[in-house]
Amino acid sequence: MPTPDSRPHLLARRRLRFLGLTPDDAIRAFFGGNAVVAVIVLALITYFLVREGAGFFGQNRRNLEVYRLAGLEFVDHLRAQEEAHTALTRRLSELRLQAFDRLSRGGADAGAADRALGGFDAYADRFGMAIDPLRALGSELAEIASAIKTKFVVNEDRKEERRQLSAEGRTAEAQRVEVAPVDFAAAARPLLAARDRHREVNRALAAELMSLLSAAPAPPVPELREPLELFGTEVRAYVSELPAIERRLETWDQARPVSFGEALRAFLFGRQWLTASFWQDWYGLLPLLTGSLLVAGVALILSVPLGVGAAIYVNQFASQREQRAVKPAIEFISAFPSVVLGFFGIAVLGEVLRQVSHVPWLDWVPGFPFSERLNVLTAGCLLALIAVPTIFTLAEDALNNVPRALPEASLALGASRLQTTLRIVFPAALSGIISAVLLGLGRVIGETMVVLLCAGNRIAIPDFTQGLGVMVEPVHTMTGIIAQEMGEVVRGSLHYRALFMVGLVLFLLSLGINFLAQRILRRYRLASS
Amino acid sequence: MPKTAASSSPIVEISDLDFCYGPVQALHGVNLAIPARQVTALIGPSGCGKSTLLRCLNRMNDLIEGARVARGSIRIHGIDIHGPEVDVIELRKHVGMVFQKSNPFPKSIYENIAYGLRLQGVRDRARLDAVVEQSLRGAALWDEVKDRLHQSALGLSGGQQQRLCIARTIAVEPEIILMDEPCSALDPVATAKIEELIQELRARYSIVIVTHNMQQAARCSDQTAFFYLGRLVEQAPTRDIFTNPANPQTEAYVSGRFG
Amino acid sequence: MSAPSSPFAPRSRQRRLREGLVIAVFRAATYVVLLAGGGVFADILIKGSRTVFQAEAPFINTTFLFSAPESLHVFEWEGRRREMGDREFRAFREREPGAADVRAESFVYSAGGIWPCIAGTLLLVAGAMTLALAVGVSSAVYLSEYARDGRFIRFVRLAILNLAGVPSIVFGLFGFGMFVIFFGWNVSLLAGWFTLAFMVLPVVITASEEALKAVPQGLRAAALALGATRWQTIRTAVLPYALPGILTSSILGIARVAGETAPIMFTAAYVVRDRLPWEVERAIDFLFQGVMALPYHIYVVSSKIPQNEYTERVQYGTAFVFLLLVAFVAAASIFLRNRLRARLRW
Repeated sequence: MPTPDSRPHLLARRRLRFLGLTPDDAIRAFFGGNAVVAVIVLALITYFLVREGAGFFGQNRRNLEVYRLAGLEFVDHLRAQEEAHTALTRRLSELRLQAFDRLSRGGADAGAADRALGGFDAYADRFGMAIDPLRALGSELAEIASAIKTKFVVNEDRKEERRQLSAEGRTAEAQRVEVAPVDFAAAARPLLAARDRHREVNRALAAELMSLLSAAPAPPVPELREPLELFGTEVRAYVSELPAIERRLETWDQARPVSFGEALRAFLFGRQWLTASFWQDWYGLLPLLTGSLLVAGVALILSVPLGVGAAIYVNQFASQREQRAVKPAIEFISAFPSVVLGFFGIAVLGEVLRQVSHVPWLDWVPGFPFSERLNVLTAGCLLALIAVPTIFTLAEDALNNVPRALPEASLALGASRLQTTLRIVFPAALSGIISAVLLGLGRVIGETMVVLLCAGNRIAIPDFTQGLGVMVEPVHTMTGIIAQEMGEVVRGSLHYRALFMVGLVLFLLSLGINFLAQRILRRYRLASS
Repeated sequence: MPKTAASSSPIVEISDLDFCYGPVQALHGVNLAIPARQVTALIGPSGCGKSTLLRCLNRMNDLIEGARVARGSIRIHGIDIHGPEVDVIELRKHVGMVFQKSNPFPKSIYENIAYGLRLQGVRDRARLDAVVEQSLRGAALWDEVKDRLHQSALGLSGGQQQRLCIARTIAVEPEIILMDEPCSALDPVATAKIEELIQELRARYSIVIVTHNMQQAARCSDQTAFFYLGRLVEQAPTRDIFTNPANPQTEAYVSGRFG
Repeated sequence: MSAPSSPFAPRSRQRRLREGLVIAVFRAATYVVLLAGGGVFADILIKGSRTVFQAEAPFINTTFLFSAPESLHVFEWEGRRREMGDREFRAFREREPGAADVRAESFVYSAGGIWPCIAGTLLLVAGAMTLALAVGVSSAVYLSEYARDGRFIRFVRLAILNLAGVPSIVFGLFGFGMFVIFFGWNVSLLAGWFTLAFMVLPVVITASEEALKAVPQGLRAAALALGATRWQTIRTAVLPYALPGILTSSILGIARVAGETAPIMFTAAYVVRDRLPWEVERAIDFLFQGVMALPYHIYVVSSKIPQNEYTERVQYGTAFVFLLLVAFVAAASIFLRNRLRARLRW
């Protein structure tokens, strides 16, 4: 019962204190600590990606420096010329194939066609063989360069061995490990000396090609006239490029240091991802990035109309019963494990798509027919299935958040349901829908198993010259490469660090997409309130 | 000027109280003495600060971000309730509160009443039983619920729920009970029961009630304080306020000309 | 358009038709999605059930569900084609004297079952969810009960949102860098638990906060006015009523934890392991062992081993079990949550 003069009741009870905190404070601090975990995890992710990946640039700089010092770069200049020539040769054989096709369609049997192409073949052969002296020179120099590199690598290994031995205190043994420093300048002298020979070879080559062109055979079929003329122009351009290549060799500076920026560019804009090569390893992001973007693009092209369309239908037109059935069903799709979808792609979808592509009346579709089961399209279709529930759910939310007054006002003015939806509700929800699409993109770019299993895993920048046909090429992706190679690399190696760098890029990319999505959403919220 | 005309010694003394929600000042220099074991009604139009003042008395405003006492003090038994040695938890045990919307816990009736004691660590079943019965009787609810003490409190009617909340409050043995428009969500019959109950409770508790209903203030309070725009306009024995207000604003309000 | 006879005459047929058509397109989009999802689901269910069920009692292929993966040996014996798993084959060779040097073709993982994978996945999910619930619910309690809106809290919320968008493979890399290498836990259950727990943390926090927010403010006020401390209020007047919501929504987190492959690839999963997780010598070894897991096993059998006519059986069987497991959990979560939302209008 209350006692009116219970003054002490008002005073603080002597609460237990620990380190100056009451139990309540401590509990509050405990919960607060847990709330910060998200921040800490984000910070730790950044830290460990940077920690494991940051060494990449230093190591890659060294890698590129050796590439230059050992003369591999010098030889690759030569090889570039060789490749240009080979490409022209390949063009000739393509033309022959066309001509042969044309002839046999014109009624000639194989023998007759071959005979008709006799002059052309001789021409092509001579063209192909013209590069042989250069090729010989190239492989001779490649051997020298590769020997320098091997010597350097062996030496580095010995150094490492010696360092370890002396670290273990076995100094005597350490002394016995022989280390012979490589004198790069001296070792590369034969390479530089070969520049004169290269000039001679090129002069002969130019003369040969010019004489070939002047004695070019008449086109075996009339359709080839134009391509052959084009070919002639290209050969002339190629010949006129030869002095430039010589100049490149002339000005090649073995001792020029590789800058940090060069190492960075080699990663960000490198066009090759080549590992465990006996010649030179390249860690270029471009093939992986384009692969990731291409697959994500295909997935979005498929999933945006489906996801947004379904959201509009369910939110605006579906009956209550249909809504109640469809929404959980689409949500349920989001629970499909991606590895199961990837497996489905390998087991079923890839083959189905390939056979569809061979249906004759679908010939007009770019890239059809194709023979690779696993490609951008297969992975893109499955990723679309992953993105649709995300896009659907968020877009439906955005449509739901449009204030009721807007469509009511429109309907009251005599607009139809569809007009109201398309002109009032959809624009009002647009930023929410855009952010839904962005979050869908984030999911798709970060998805691993589907692309690892279904994208075909060919590490090369897809051939965009084929237009939309690029959609059926096999590619490799940033997520896929990490999943595939991480298990096999040596810890601390350049390759290992490169994979962490790819992870870092992926991380930053997803943060950027997320950030953008939230910004758009926030602006929209402000505008509507 | 407001008259301070408490007949018995004041239990709460509010002096020069300024109260702010962030940049918005809600109370301006309020001086008010609340007498012990009487019913004090706070009346005034919406937004006049009467609820804010009520929530100051047990420091429920602490929970609102940016809310603070800018000047002045509130003393209960002469102790400044914002003083450093005052434990807000002890204060709230001492100053109970009944809310506008009845808010029983989704537990049994018994557990609702026993809640406050359990918080204090009381485990003794016999004592809990005694307090539950006592409190329910005190809130005139015992006869209605004694057979279903262990059923959910959410099964009670609105008026019963509100009386349950009162019973729950008196179970902690407060000295002061704050009531924030306790009948605003109830029908006239349930309201009458609560008013009856308030009359019974005034013998043992000092009650401060915020109400919009002038008849209610007239029927069941001893003292009435009229607030307008965050200022205390007039405080007087209820009879005086309703029959012979000193301030023309008060007169206008109680006669229904605005508000 | 001709002048309508009445001001309320229906609009022209053509326009109505066009509208109907557009709506039909939207509707078609909806059903294309459902059809695609249903198609994948049905394919795996139908083909997988051939592995998991059998014609004779007990109708469930217990060998597949409850034994470890083995190699399949295929050979000709007495003019008949025989297919045997490792153990059976060994016993057969001991039993039949002439069979010692029989030529058998062997196919890895194509016989036996997936019991270690099921066990491993269950262990991974249990541990990771325990961790995630502990941290996630506490975090949500802070955000919804204690925190006041301010720069710091906005920063924390931003971090949670962003964490939700981090690709799972990045979690895998992070777990590898931190737990496997920096902490030296190697590929282990513990490393997998932490990696997965951090990954679902945002899901659990968001779900828990939603459930806490659904508890009416009146209950908190009542408790505080009765002299409860902040913690007493939360413990007695908030958490008990938020808990069902927290748990049902968190089940969706389970589906995510169980379904992901990328985070456990380098942190917890082994391609093959002979012993079951609880067959360890010391209790501490339990934490520091790698395990087999269903999603990783699907990856291994569908792309890491040579494909042949025998692999499809185990591929579809594993996918069936895995999909059913995850789908069951997800369906339960969606169903319970919708029911709870409908019921809990305070």
